[in-house]
Amino acid sequence: MSTLLSVENMTHFFGGLRAVHNYNLKIKSGQIIGLIGPNGAGKTTIFNLITGVHTPTKGNITLKNTNIKGMKTHEIASLGLGRTFQNLLLWRHMNVLDHIKMAHFSQLKYTLFDAFLGTPKCRKQENEIKEKSHELLKLFEINQFADQIVGSLPYGAQRRVEMARAMATNPKILFLDEPTAGMTPDELVRMIEIIRKIHNDFKIAIFLIEHRMKFVMDLCEYIQTLVFGEIIAQGTPDEIQNNPKVIEAYLGKEDLT
Amino acid sequence: MDYFFQNLINALQWGSFYAVISIGYSMVYGVLMLFNFAHGDIFMVGTYIGFGIATLLLALFSAIMPGWLIFIFTVVITMFLASFVGVFVEIVGYRPLRKAPRASAAITGLMIGIIFETGNLILLGAQRLSFPPLIKSISYNFKGIYFTNVKIMIVVISLLLMLLLHTFIQKTKWGMAMRAMSYDFLAVPLMGVSINVIAPLTFALGAGLASVAGILYGQAYPVLDPYMGVLLGWKAFVAAILGGRGSIMGAALAGYMLGFIEIFVAMVFPSTFRDLIAYSIILIILTFRPRGFFGMAHSTSLRL
Amino acid sequence: MKIIDTFKKIFSKIPTTGWLLGIFVAVVLEYYLGDIISYYLYLPKIPAIFGTLIMFKKPLMIPSVIAYDFIIYILPIFIVGKFFAPLTNNLALMFEKMPLWISTILHLCLLYGAMHIWAEISDYRVLILKLTMISIILTISINIINGYQGEFSCSHPGFMALGAYSSSTLTLLLFTNDKLFGTALLPSFLGPWLFPVTLIFGGIVAAIGSLIVAIPSFRTRGDYLAIISLAFMFIVKSAIENLEILGGPRGMSSQPDYASLPVVFCWMVMAIWIIHNFVTSIMGKALNAVRDNEPAADSMTVNTRKTKMTAFMFGAFWAGIAGGLFAHVLRYINPGTFGIQKLAEILAMVYFGGLNSIYGSIVGAVSISLLGEALRPFELFKWIVIPLILIIIMIVRPYGLISFKELNIKKLLGSRDKPKNQGVK
Repeated sequence: MSTLLSVENMTHFFGGLRAVHNYNLKIKSGQIIGLIGPNGAGKTTIFNLITGVHTPTKGNITLKNTNIKGMKTHEIASLGLGRTFQNLLLWRHMNVLDHIKMAHFSQLKYTLFDAFLGTPKCRKQENEIKEKSHELLKLFEINQFADQIVGSLPYGAQRRVEMARAMATNPKILFLDEPTAGMTPDELVRMIEIIRKIHNDFKIAIFLIEHRMKFVMDLCEYIQTLVFGEIIAQGTPDEIQNNPKVIEAYLGKEDLT
Repeated sequence: MDYFFQNLINALQWGSFYAVISIGYSMVYGVLMLFNFAHGDIFMVGTYIGFGIATLLLALFSAIMPGWLIFIFTVVITMFLASFVGVFVEIVGYRPLRKAPRASAAITGLMIGIIFETGNLILLGAQRLSFPPLIKSISYNFKGIYFTNVKIMIVVISLLLMLLLHTFIQKTKWGMAMRAMSYDFLAVPLMGVSINVIAPLTFALGAGLASVAGILYGQAYPVLDPYMGVLLGWKAFVAAILGGRGSIMGAALAGYMLGFIEIFVAMVFPSTFRDLIAYSIILIILTFRPRGFFGMAHSTSLRL
Repeated sequence: MKIIDTFKKIFSKIPTTGWLLGIFVAVVLEYYLGDIISYYLYLPKIPAIFGTLIMFKKPLMIPSVIAYDFIIYILPIFIVGKFFAPLTNNLALMFEKMPLWISTILHLCLLYGAMHIWAEISDYRVLILKLTMISIILTISINIINGYQGEFSCSHPGFMALGAYSSSTLTLLLFTNDKLFGTALLPSFLGPWLFPVTLIFGGIVAAIGSLIVAIPSFRTRGDYLAIISLAFMFIVKSAIENLEILGGPRGMSSQPDYASLPVVFCWMVMAIWIIHNFVTSIMGKALNAVRDNEPAADSMTVNTRKTKMTAFMFGAFWAGIAGGLFAHVLRYINPGTFGIQKLAEILAMVYFGGLNSIYGSIVGAVSISLLGEALRPFELFKWIVIPLILIIIMIVRPYGLISFKELNIKKLLGSRDKPKNQGVK
């Protein structure tokens, strides 16, 4: 299995504040890796650094042998890095189908003038994308909402729209930022199924931030623990579960006297 | 050199008008994160109110009162009346749109301004009214530089007003609430300060200031015109941006700067180039300093 | 309420074809019988635009005007619409089977025919129609920026001025003997044929000019666009005032009369068609994504900066075209035309009609233009009534009258009869 994404010695400062220190990551195709840590540890910052929202102060990021450090977010995204957001960033005046169609933006092959004149080339491709989008909607079980504005959807469905949208960018790696935040236990179970399903169907790697331990332990084959911008422990779920440092970070120091 | 100082005084006078008007824009932005596009026309209405009050007072009391006393009464009464115009604009144009997209509120402001202009034309007709001189103009000659007491008075009163406003904002409870509102527009209402009190207050203050600027303007340039608000208002608006949105100090400084730019451009180039060069300089400044001189990093925008 | 419902029920069965046919019949009727009917109703002449002018000038004429409007317009449209509904629905069904573009063109021909005959009555009507159609182009083009893209741009009069002046310069320079530019460089018979080229040139100049606004304001987020575009508008106006070669504050006049009714109509249709294609394509919908959430759009592979720039230039291009047409319709322009007043008018049209909607823009442009013309004798009250209406609209519907509605030509032209009835007939 080849390495898809590798991050080496990534360090980032916000002004004088060190947000991330010497962070390393290797994701091979088909892996599911989890990133856990207490609030404010810098998990989302790591996502933002890799996806190009911020450019890291130091370090290297390579995606499929391309150095993506300093590239624009949309360029990195079109190289095959899809993501979802912790606090649902959907387009509130658009319907569900348009969300999925929109994520095909970098795959458009027609030119601006084709769009102006509505040439057959443009229409053909738009129809293909529409078909593909409908398939994705079916996969995520939200095709009954296709014509609805996202704001009117139940919360769990909105999460799934966001995920379907990320999948439409045709990613090799999917970054999920707290995919179960605010979900009911029922919705949580369905979310686990969906993540398993896209992992199996699309053969993609997944990198996720999550708070719910059970969810992470169930899904991930490898887990990193981040505290104050530094990795304090990494390994298989079992190793992490029994690591005293992790327990300390989460539960506080045990009084051993 | 004399010529330079002569223009310096003119620039200070022009700048005073811009500064006092642009503060009104800035205060409203600080509290509501919106531009009060009717402010230029509030200035115009204030000037006309001032004209009415001054004419009335002159007719009634010119025999028993000296000019400066009438002037003071005019200023006080006009400020009082004009502040209601500000409150009116807030209640009609901005309050119903608290939850609406920001662009819609901009449109209502703009439209209220147009109604003021046209209403004025309908009520008073197209004749040019002339503001009665309240202070007798006396010219001085200081080493070859001519200036009048009116010019000095305009600059001094403007500075005084700004100082008063500054004290109000720094020292009083209401001023504190306004400042707090400009830091966090969502949290302050939770602290028990109603936006429906602060916003009209801000509009009233801005309108009061603008009306004084109008009276002063009338003393310097007596001819009144329903479109005077458009002429001065948009420039003052741009000054408010240049100073940094929501920054009162910045607005005042940028107002003076704009006055200087305009007067000194007119010194070097033909006067028809005044707008062209003034706006081009503004465009260049905003290109390199998008936040203006004292602006905070607001990421809001006139989006849907 | 019941009456409204019954009316709705009656009218919902009438397809667009029926309406157009009704209008066509009414217009033909006016062409042949208008004089006689207005004579018997003691009207001095055929009322220019539905008699609003006469109503304001001579209130005693109000009953006759209403009677005229009823006989000439309402009755025939209603009769044709209602009683020919089965026929027109069948026609619409027939059109549905044709390729969409053929039926669209047929409908447009019918529409143009009606407009042409209506305009035959007086030159005033021709002028109003032309100006209204130009307003439609302008409103749709600003809707790209203020609606679809969700910015607040104030520079449209500036773009219009750029387009108007550059295309006028070209036509005056090339095809006419003019006091500003001397003798014509090309034979004048080429003029009407090369007129589109000069218009497109005007549009391109406007689009390039828009870069002055776009480059600084799209680098950072915020209301910069509102302010920079405002400054840009003043700069353009003031620059033209100082350019003696373009006539300075006196303006440019005697542009050749190339913008005839069919020409303006064609440009309007083209503008609607191209802009509609753009905003419904994924490439154009990216604008909505950028508007609603820019970071999300970025992460979904949308090149946000390029998208914003393209759309802004595209909007400016059409404003330039509208400006060029405007110059050749009025055959006189001066810098004062493209000031704050024009801006207020354009903004009124787009916000009245509705953001993010081509329907809305058409409705907004037509209603504000017609309202303006109807209130022409009271030039001043026009600017009380329009702002008041707009304030009310903003309070009741902050996004405008018909917002977020896509133009659906297929549905628009389709039959209004229930599909069940197809088998019976």
